[in-house]
Amino acid sequence: MNDAILKLEDVSYRYSDGTRALDNCSLTVRRGTRTAVLGVNGAGKTTMFLHLNGILRPTAGQVLCEGIPLDYSRSGMRTLRSRVGMVFQNPDSQLFSASVREDVSFGPMNLGLEEAVVRTRVEEALLAVGMTDSADKPVHNLSYGQKKRVCIAGVLAMQPEIVILDEPMAGLDVDMQEELTDILERLHAAGMTIVIATHDLDFAYGWADEVIVMQNGRLLAHGVPATILLQEDVQGNLGAAPLVAEITRLLSLIGIDLRDKGYLPRCKSELLNALNEHTREENRP
Amino acid sequence: MLTEQSAYTNRWRRVSPLAKGLFSLCGMIAAFAAGSPRTALLIAFILGAAAVFGAGIPPLRYLRVAAPALFFLSASSLSLFISLDFGRSIVDISLHPALSEFPRIAQVCCRSLACLTSLLFLALTTPLSDIISLLRRCKVPDTLLDLMTLCYRTLFVLSEAVHETITAQSARLGYATITLSLRSLGGLVANLTVQVWQRSQALHLAALARNNDGALRFLENSYANASKNISIAATAGAVVIALAVMLP
Repeated sequence: MNDAILKLEDVSYRYSDGTRALDNCSLTVRRGTRTAVLGVNGAGKTTMFLHLNGILRPTAGQVLCEGIPLDYSRSGMRTLRSRVGMVFQNPDSQLFSASVREDVSFGPMNLGLEEAVVRTRVEEALLAVGMTDSADKPVHNLSYGQKKRVCIAGVLAMQPEIVILDEPMAGLDVDMQEELTDILERLHAAGMTIVIATHDLDFAYGWADEVIVMQNGRLLAHGVPATILLQEDVQGNLGAAPLVAEITRLLSLIGIDLRDKGYLPRCKSELLNALNEHTREENRP
Repeated sequence: MLTEQSAYTNRWRRVSPLAKGLFSLCGMIAAFAAGSPRTALLIAFILGAAAVFGAGIPPLRYLRVAAPALFFLSASSLSLFISLDFGRSIVDISLHPALSEFPRIAQVCCRSLACLTSLLFLALTTPLSDIISLLRRCKVPDTLLDLMTLCYRTLFVLSEAVHETITAQSARLGYATITLSLRSLGGLVANLTVQVWQRSQALHLAALARNNDGALRFLENSYANASKNISIAATAGAVVIALAVMLP
């Protein structure tokens, strides 16, 4: 199941002002995975995403979808963008219509689907993000988090195989972040491949199946979070380590080695469970 | 924003825009068909009453929305009524009321008032996105409608940006004196110009990402009892026109 669905091969991209955003970047997104893309500001995450959706065309190298180089013709892009949906960071830069339902219908209408099909898809997408009750509200009266959900619904209504989200948690409060994580979880359970750019190491460590770390437009590391995010060079580049991993490491220094006992906590609740189990075992006569 | 608020919260929000548009159009036809100022005033009253008592727009809000237009209408009426008379030389200027033209001026003003209430009826009962889809059904060119859609959406985005920038400038004493205010205002305009350009670029990318290749296409809302409502609106509109034609 984990075959490469999207791939960048030695991709370089230079903006018109001379900024080199991608520099011989090679990476793979595997089908059905939850991938977190990490990197400091300016590492090339957004530029890489714009390549995956065919909005930018590499100045060198190539982008492949299921092993086939992207076809940049109008019909090729139509096919690609119906398969790869992209949610941008700022919802106000993505929402066209002042009506929620209308905006969600924008993508499927562009696919040339019949009105009845579009109507069904719009309602399904609104339901998936929990925005059915706000479907008739004007976009400008929604909160920031609700606008983000409308953006996601707009992409889901196109029924893509892959959803790319550029820093979706930015600007959201804790409750909204949890709600968004639940939505992403449901999408993943339904078989969707999800790629997220984030600065939240703890989120990436707990949520992702794979992490991609970028530095200066290049791939720095790619693999499972429990390995990659513990590497010194990665932590040095990102400026921090996941809190749960750090606590686990510190506990091992004082003789509570959870890893030795087969625990590999990735989030706060898993860490607490592991500690409870560990204490119970220690106290067992 | 008052218009917005009414358009989304009035009693007839879920009535087909075609029905409301038709009634508004009939109101305008009736305004032009009205043979006397009194009849035109009656048409204006009927359309105003439909918005206030039918759609449930609070009367005070109705007046507040109408106030700027009424102000312009009064100023125009006054300028029509008062004639400027140049005597024998350029400095010999006098103002006098055009009493002989009063009936015609009253006719024009009352007709304008009736037209204004027709348009207010539509604006206060129908969100702009519904009016745009109504215009799309009426085969108005796509380019014009796309511009309307984007302008309408961007209006709110930019008003938020203006508010944020002014707050940020005020927090750093940007409007403490007249000189500083002028300087800050310049900064605000410059900043907004760049933002407009950046946002238009971002919207273009977002449109591409969602497979757009030209006109902005959206799903039209469906309305329950649309045919019934259109029939009622057409009948009511016909009655208004008949009144305008038959009354002296």
